[in-house]
Amino acid sequence: MDQFLLILVSGLASGAVYGLMGLGLVIIYRATDVVNFALASLATVGLYAALALSERGLPLLLAAVAAIVTTAAVGLVAREAVIRPLAQGELLSALVMTMGVSLIAESTISTIWDDQPRLFPSLVEGSVSLGSAAVPAQSLLTIAVAAVAMALVAYLFGRTSIGTAMRAVAESADTARILGLGSQRIARIAWALGLGLAALAAFLYAPRAGLVPTVLSAPLFRAFAGIFLGGLTSMYGAVIGGLTVGVLDNLAAGYVSAGYRDTFVFSFTILVLLIRPQGLFGVRTFQRV
Amino acid sequence: MSFVSRSGNSLVSRSILSLVSRSTVAKAALGPLAATVLLIVLNTGAIPPYQAYSVGLAAVYTILVLSVNLLAGWAGIWSIAHPAFFALGAYFAAYGSTHGWSLELVLLGATVCAAGFGAFLGAAGARFSMLYVALLTLAFTMVSLEVMGQWTAVTGGDQGIPMEKLHSALGLGTLASAGTQAQYLAVGAAGIALAVAAVARPSALRMRLVAAKSHPMAARSIGIAPEAQSALAFAVSAVFTALAGVLLALVVGFVSPDPFSLALAIALISACVLGGAGTLLGAVVGGAYLTWAPTVAESAGVAQPILQGVVLIAALLFLPGGVVLFLGRTARRLLRRPSARPAPPVEPPEESPQRVPAPSATADEVLRLEDIAVTFGGLKALEGASLSVRAGETLAVIGPNGAGKTTLLNVLSGLVGGGRVAGSAHYAGKPLLKSRATTRRRLGIGRTFQHAETFPELTVLENVLCTRRRITAHDRDRATELLDRFGLAHVADRYPAELPFGLHKRLDLARALAEEPGLLILDEPFGGLDATERTLLTRQIVRQQEHGTAVVIIDHVLDDLFAVAHRVVAFDFGRPIGEGDPGDILDDPRVRSSYLGEGGTRDELPARDGTENPAVHLDAVDHAYGGVTALREVGLTVPRGSVLGVVGANGAGKSTLGRILHGTLPPTRGRRKAAGELRTALVPEGRALFKTLSLRENLEVAAYAAGIRGAELRARLAETTQWLPPRLRERMGMPAAGLSGGEQQVLAIARALMARPDLLIVDEPALGLSPAMVDEVYARIGRLTHEGMTIVLLEQSLGRAASACHEVVVLHEGGIAVRGEPADPSFLARAEQAYFDGEDDAAVPVPQR
Repeated sequence: MDQFLLILVSGLASGAVYGLMGLGLVIIYRATDVVNFALASLATVGLYAALALSERGLPLLLAAVAAIVTTAAVGLVAREAVIRPLAQGELLSALVMTMGVSLIAESTISTIWDDQPRLFPSLVEGSVSLGSAAVPAQSLLTIAVAAVAMALVAYLFGRTSIGTAMRAVAESADTARILGLGSQRIARIAWALGLGLAALAAFLYAPRAGLVPTVLSAPLFRAFAGIFLGGLTSMYGAVIGGLTVGVLDNLAAGYVSAGYRDTFVFSFTILVLLIRPQGLFGVRTFQRV
Repeated sequence: MSFVSRSGNSLVSRSILSLVSRSTVAKAALGPLAATVLLIVLNTGAIPPYQAYSVGLAAVYTILVLSVNLLAGWAGIWSIAHPAFFALGAYFAAYGSTHGWSLELVLLGATVCAAGFGAFLGAAGARFSMLYVALLTLAFTMVSLEVMGQWTAVTGGDQGIPMEKLHSALGLGTLASAGTQAQYLAVGAAGIALAVAAVARPSALRMRLVAAKSHPMAARSIGIAPEAQSALAFAVSAVFTALAGVLLALVVGFVSPDPFSLALAIALISACVLGGAGTLLGAVVGGAYLTWAPTVAESAGVAQPILQGVVLIAALLFLPGGVVLFLGRTARRLLRRPSARPAPPVEPPEESPQRVPAPSATADEVLRLEDIAVTFGGLKALEGASLSVRAGETLAVIGPNGAGKTTLLNVLSGLVGGGRVAGSAHYAGKPLLKSRATTRRRLGIGRTFQHAETFPELTVLENVLCTRRRITAHDRDRATELLDRFGLAHVADRYPAELPFGLHKRLDLARALAEEPGLLILDEPFGGLDATERTLLTRQIVRQQEHGTAVVIIDHVLDDLFAVAHRVVAFDFGRPIGEGDPGDILDDPRVRSSYLGEGGTRDELPARDGTENPAVHLDAVDHAYGGVTALREVGLTVPRGSVLGVVGANGAGKSTLGRILHGTLPPTRGRRKAAGELRTALVPEGRALFKTLSLRENLEVAAYAAGIRGAELRARLAETTQWLPPRLRERMGMPAAGLSGGEQQVLAIARALMARPDLLIVDEPALGLSPAMVDEVYARIGRLTHEGMTIVLLEQSLGRAASACHEVVVLHEGGIAVRGEPADPSFLARAEQAYFDGEDDAAVPVPQR
């Protein structure tokens, strides 16, 4: 029972990280039709910057803010430089473009720093006793911070005018244009927000995993599985999909085999998609001539 | 009678065709030839051993890139799964070689496994969008990486396993690994793979793949099933990749998981983007790039991923389509001689259109529909549709926008999508509804599409040829004749995008007629055509009538439609409302009013004295979309405080005019002049509400878009909420999708009012509404007028516009046919006339009312 509780908590903590990254992917995809493959490596740039600053004596909380700001800034520059010149609606070109950005970002990290694993400091240490089980404090912090961030995103999209405008653009960019809504501004906000969430996820994930240039590629792929599971355009779907993947992934590692966790997660996702191609929360659309 | 004189031209095109096929043979020989030359060079020992090893590796990667590249270019599937298939072949070879398997067993096993998995991925992928295919194939590679790492008994885990000799069970000898023999074999295999691809390029297989990729719906209409195509394509590509994997094991002599990572998948995509998806030469470029990129990066002093990323981004930004296409285009531009341009199409001889032959009274009934109903979700798009067509007979289906015409055509061609079809339909005596869209072509049903949905990546000739599964010389001759008959022979080797819209539509029709269907379905064939093209089209239809083809045709260009039709059925609100001869169907009051609307009582409008300043003015405005003229020479003034009605049938150019008046669409020619700080708002056709947003949020977004924030926004929201009817006021927090059509229309107008516009443009506010709701919506528009708002009303119904407007202009095929004030009874008669034929004939007698 204790073991199950531990696995569940660590699954939710992983899931919170995948959910935050998935949320970032979905926010960017809905606003700009770009599946941002570079999300993970841009967030990793932010992590290395934060680590460098914290080693120079910046408090860790401020370093977290620096990670978010750096990630968003580098991402916005990349978008203006290489994504915007592409024609609208070029789904594939945009995706491949972000792959190129990702290659360059990861390699730049290895050049400036190196490939050696580093320790990434954590805001909290030790563990908390829940019943007879000792749950790592970092896991609980991850779950709590992610929950607060998701609640803020929900508030932004549900209760503020800018959030409403972002949902409107996501539903129909055409109609938004008729109303005079500037889509570039919305796109920039979405990129900054999505990348910021990814940087936050990275900041919570790195203390557990240690820092290498490719530290976020596994979480990115699991976040992908999560957003497809959730229906690709649904923000709730991204969070619930991410949590599902996180829990499944840890259950598979704990009870089946640590070596086959991705096999387990991806087979489950594909199976669900074969039965429900629109995902758990996606909307099925009618096709017309 | 054909489009062009037949004799000389087809001879020319036939000789061109034989040239093409001869060049195919030459191209196919090129791969093996290059491989042979390379082998001879290798054999002389002029290349040092390490370089020879690289050449062998490059040959293997060429096969790999070729498989990924052609799958992407021809079938539109960008696969991330290919590293897994590559690994499959390599591990089959290595494991087999150490466990006494014969060469044949290894090849057979790798082929069968790869084909099975590939077909599964292809078939599953066809159900999904491009992104889902990416996830599916990503999953395949992720799983394969785990299996490689964990299944140590077979794969040796991270340590890998050695590749030994492979013996042939048929006594063909022994293959040694990691030596010159393996390198020679790889080079030879790459040559053969290129030859196979060169032969496949002009085949029906590629054409059908490309057709299914670029336009699944049109592909279904000519009998191509996208799922089967994509499964086949993926299976073939996977098999080639697995065989490349076997070669990799032989050349390297050792297999470990390292080369099969996701980095390879990204590198493969880079190679395809760089070389150009769908080109053979591009695959060779890509293979060479993959092999030598590390060396180049090293000598340039940059990290290899950075080089790869920069190349990828540069290729996407500056060489869309890839290096090969770019070089080819540049070379052609430099080498092209002006005289090589094809001759312009021959204009048709001036002669009166042919008489429409009457169908024989005893002709067989080809099509019979009984009580067909179609529902989408809870929405009835069509109900109670019954009709029959005999051989040689042409049935026209007319009705205003939203009458269910296109849905009816889609029932006939099996393309209803998510809708449910009830009732019965028989074609040539056999039940039709159960048969799939792809089989209807074989039954003898051909169709065209409203926007001429041709396959953009196939040449004109290939667009017609791809209807065949296998292409014989006879098929080519027939296709050439067909193009000749349609005046398309001179552009047979061009791509549809290079053609003017008229030729584009001819091609759509030619494709529909390629197999001489018994029933021809035409979806707005006259729309967007000029007078000459229409005459030509009429001749083609008459020709089919002479052949005994049954034709079902819908269009909004009624005069041309009636010139070829034998019988007309009219629809409104998804139900048949009348049937008759083309000559007198419009005398039926129900049919006439479905277009023109009920006269209605004229509402009180605020008085005008003629001194009002213009709010907006258009000066000789033209507009064209992709070669189709939507507006021509429109001059229009909207006076302040007036209601101006713009009336016309669907396709007359109303919405385009509305967008130009709104200022969001710049005209192709001419000028829009607006008074000072004029705020305009547009209520688009079909409401265009944000359905997932609540009522309040729909209003909020509009204010936000107009730059209004904070307290001011809240004040406007409160004010506009008061304007809404009580039922909507109580539902401000509900999603807009839950509203009825009429309520949505009121909300859409309210949304436009949030910006406090001076000029409000309302596009088809009555579309799809019940009569009571139409009255409600119009009453609200009327009240706005009294509050001093300037309004432009875009309407299909002349009657409704006349009852609500100070002034009405009738738009016919993009031009203003007549304008005047509805208060003047003689104007209404002229406007009715102009609505249908575009003629302003002042001599029309005033009807007695």
